[in-house]
Amino acid sequence: MAGKWQLKDHEAERELFGRRLAVAVVLVILLFGALIMKLVNLQVYQYEYFSARSDGNRLHSQYVPPARGLIYDNRGQLLADNQPIFNLTIVREQVEDLEETLDFLDTLIDLSEDEREQFSMRLGRNRVPFSSVPLRYVLSDVEKSKIAVNSYKLPGVAIEPQFVRQYPLAELTAHSVGYVSEINRAELDSLTAEERENYGGTNHIGKTGIERTYEDLLHGTVGYEIVEKNNRGQVMRRLDRTDPIAGKNISVYLDTALQVAAQEALGDYRGAVVAIDPNTGGILAMVSKPGFDPNLFVTGISNKDYGVLVTDEINTPLFDRTTNPYPPGSTIKPFLGIGGLHHGFVDYDFAIEDPGYFRLPGVRYRWGDYTLRTAIGGGHGHTNLQKAIYQSCDTFFYDLGNRMGIDTIHSFMSQFGFGENFTVDVKYARTGVLPSRDWKRATRGEPWYPGDTINSSIGQGYMWATPLQLATAASIMANKGKVIQPRMLKAINGVPYEPEIDNPVADVVVNDPDYWRYIEESMSMVVHRAYNDVFREYGTAYEAIAMADRDMPYRMAGKSGSAQVVGISQEIMRSEDIQASDLNKDHALFISFAPAENPFIKPQIAIAVFVENGEHGSSIAGPIAKQVTDAYLLDILQIDFAALETGSDELISFVDE
Amino acid sequence: MNSQDFIRQSDGLGSNAGAPKSIWRTVHTDPPLLVGIALLCAFGLFVLFSASGGDVPVVQRQALTMVVGLVVMFIVAQFNVHFFRQWAPTLYAAGLGLLCLVLVIGVEANGAKSWLDLPGLPSFQPSELMKFVVPMLMAWYLASRPLPPRFKHLFWSAVMILVPAGLIIVQNDTGTAIMVTMSGLFVVLLAGIRWRIIIFGFIALLLASPAWYLYLAQEHQKNRILTFLNPYRDPTGTGYNIIQSQIAIGSGGIYGKGYGEGAQSHLDFIPESNTDFILAVLAEEFGLLGVLFLIGMYLFVLIRGSYIAFAANDMFSRLLAGSITLTFFFYVFVNMAMVSGLVPVIGLPLPLMSRGGTSVVTLFIGFGLLMSIQTHGRNRFI
Repeated sequence: MAGKWQLKDHEAERELFGRRLAVAVVLVILLFGALIMKLVNLQVYQYEYFSARSDGNRLHSQYVPPARGLIYDNRGQLLADNQPIFNLTIVREQVEDLEETLDFLDTLIDLSEDEREQFSMRLGRNRVPFSSVPLRYVLSDVEKSKIAVNSYKLPGVAIEPQFVRQYPLAELTAHSVGYVSEINRAELDSLTAEERENYGGTNHIGKTGIERTYEDLLHGTVGYEIVEKNNRGQVMRRLDRTDPIAGKNISVYLDTALQVAAQEALGDYRGAVVAIDPNTGGILAMVSKPGFDPNLFVTGISNKDYGVLVTDEINTPLFDRTTNPYPPGSTIKPFLGIGGLHHGFVDYDFAIEDPGYFRLPGVRYRWGDYTLRTAIGGGHGHTNLQKAIYQSCDTFFYDLGNRMGIDTIHSFMSQFGFGENFTVDVKYARTGVLPSRDWKRATRGEPWYPGDTINSSIGQGYMWATPLQLATAASIMANKGKVIQPRMLKAINGVPYEPEIDNPVADVVVNDPDYWRYIEESMSMVVHRAYNDVFREYGTAYEAIAMADRDMPYRMAGKSGSAQVVGISQEIMRSEDIQASDLNKDHALFISFAPAENPFIKPQIAIAVFVENGEHGSSIAGPIAKQVTDAYLLDILQIDFAALETGSDELISFVDE
Repeated sequence: MNSQDFIRQSDGLGSNAGAPKSIWRTVHTDPPLLVGIALLCAFGLFVLFSASGGDVPVVQRQALTMVVGLVVMFIVAQFNVHFFRQWAPTLYAAGLGLLCLVLVIGVEANGAKSWLDLPGLPSFQPSELMKFVVPMLMAWYLASRPLPPRFKHLFWSAVMILVPAGLIIVQNDTGTAIMVTMSGLFVVLLAGIRWRIIIFGFIALLLASPAWYLYLAQEHQKNRILTFLNPYRDPTGTGYNIIQSQIAIGSGGIYGKGYGEGAQSHLDFIPESNTDFILAVLAEEFGLLGVLFLIGMYLFVLIRGSYIAFAANDMFSRLLAGSITLTFFFYVFVNMAMVSGLVPVIGLPLPLMSRGGTSVVTLFIGFGLLMSIQTHGRNRFI
């Protein structure tokens, strides 16, 4: 041990250590220097770049969808409301393995194949990067808490509150108010760039009915906000916000009580009721039965539910019967009648001797009288225009139509909206067909035959009209030719709305205004002319309406109609050995307005009723019109007709308001 | 002869000995070092509070660890460092024994089977002990031999370093193995190993590295090197940590975003923001000035450590103090360089800043040894 110590030179060793230590200290300082240079490079020279990167990491601009405007009825009842729901959304960019995430979510809340499919469809759309895409609408509380508990395992998955449409009346307004549903590819493509920006935060768009017509009013203007998101895509803070502008609340003329009355009046029948206030043009009721629950569509209808709706070929609940055309049948007779008077083809004294059929000169074919498919046989005998209307004499109108010719019929009838859409804002309604020579050549490539005119004269053949058009025509009749175009929108944000109509429809002017009174009287007789000793001199709807309610406090002008179900020829329908199934039965129609022939008060409601396979216009559709009219005049407007007689000004002013 | 030697040495240090700090000497504490350590600890807790998102229990636990560390440091400082010199071979032998024991009955945590859970003792990592036992043994071995060391001594030194390092690598704890190797290597370097051997060894390492990369390196090690060369080859995978860390540091700028305002860390973009990457949090919130402040504090501790090494009475103390100081620097530098993208990612914490306790106690044992070296030698000769 001692020997070793002797070999050591402590001073030299200390100096050696000192030198090494000095080298080490210099190295330490040099390395720190290199580190500081690196930091200066990052924090000074590249500061701008990294600062922007940092903001890019955390700051996200996102859309704030505007609240959709509410829809109120005539009396302030909500037809379309917004309800809060909670959606499960995913930000694709923040999910590492989408399949894995979806599989994990599946273990939590049972995702169906359907949902996965819809989700990948939504992902496929054009969208802003880092925007959230809904996976499931309407999470239950249990589902919400399951997701929340596992949120740390689910980066990019979030629960977002959203307001969605809710239709409190469900079926009742399914067709008229319509519904909103998810925007599809085609709709998105049809938007302009500016509009698409406005729909950036919106998942829904109006698909049908008022929701579609007034999409622009209801939607509002999108807002923006800058949010700070963490690494898992959760919003931590809101930094800047441009508030969205909510859509406008609108009121429509629809009256919920009348809508309910119309639905109840239709009972179990498939069909449609349209009611218009002739004084304002406001559409008071528009019911198509059977309906469906529009709420199903809002949050994405399942394939199963949708399948049920579309495969029901008999009830076709999605089909809007109010705006789709049917043969109007005899309901057009009053309009043709006043046309005949105006153009001088008939006058009050003109009459025919009806044998029960009509025959064109030189043609062997007989046009039978529909209304006379009875055991008695024979015709109406001596028949003038008034009787032809209240007895619905086909022969009279075959003759009148034949003499008027299709050109005159077309030009006159179109003034009542046949073949046209007179509405201000039900533009989606179809226009039906008011046939003409040009129409037939254009669509069929055939010339017009005199026989075509005969069929058209009783609202058959090529003649097609929607219940909405029939109600419109009835309303013009009630107004004695003054045209107030039917409309839905009554007020915007409580301010009464007066539409700007570019091409206002001209009023119907006839040579002698008394013709209006005459036709109104004839239509009143349809409902009120009682049975008497003379053969076939009662109103066709008397038994079902006025006789059924002898205390009826007002008079109602009406006209029944039955329309052949298309595709089945008259011969088959008339032959005894064919047992027509329900689906082959005629459609029943009825138009009316009331109160009629009232010196104190103008007509308040014009109605068209269509009953699919109802068979008899007067006995099936007529009472429905009566019931709806009762509901409006007696229950809703509460007009005291007895008091009117005694001349109470107060009541009249109430009604006019 | 021996005693004369000591006297001559003490003469050279006479001026230091006269300082009126006898009270600190009595409790064997070096005030500058203590102040530096305490400042670092306080700053570390302060940054951790923000990095953990205001998680008080986390900060409390870390503070407790530091208090335990300080207590351990004081206890170690009470022993004369020559007590450790005498026991160094025994401690080394015991350490090796424990490392072998770990291989048999060790407990695995975080992928490394390095924990020993003996009945009656808190569970600990024998490999941590080796961080100061190896330099202690090296200092003991080389201090008693003529310096610069001869080749024979260097050979045995290498054996004494590589045996425990190898055992630790077998435990699958490369980081600790590197630290143990470095702590031993620093002793050899300070002992005056010839420059040509150093340069030769350095070149040999450079030449061997491609072979290591091709035949020995594990997949994740290769990835780390590739990511270091180009973080954007897999920006959301292996490159994510370093990219986000650089964004945090760079976006801090000169003055920082303010305490608690670090978006990168508070929005969880920085991984391991409480542990290995805590420097990114600091750099984001306090900017370049904050990092310079931290480097300044580290530098203060390092300079003090170097001074203690320089002023020590004997070669064992010098080598041990120098090795402890340089090992501390190595920790600091490697972590900072890795977080700022200067070197590949190596999982080493930032001393006294990063959360997590095991290595903290080792660190304080080192500080305790430094204080012992600084305070005991003087007392004896004044």
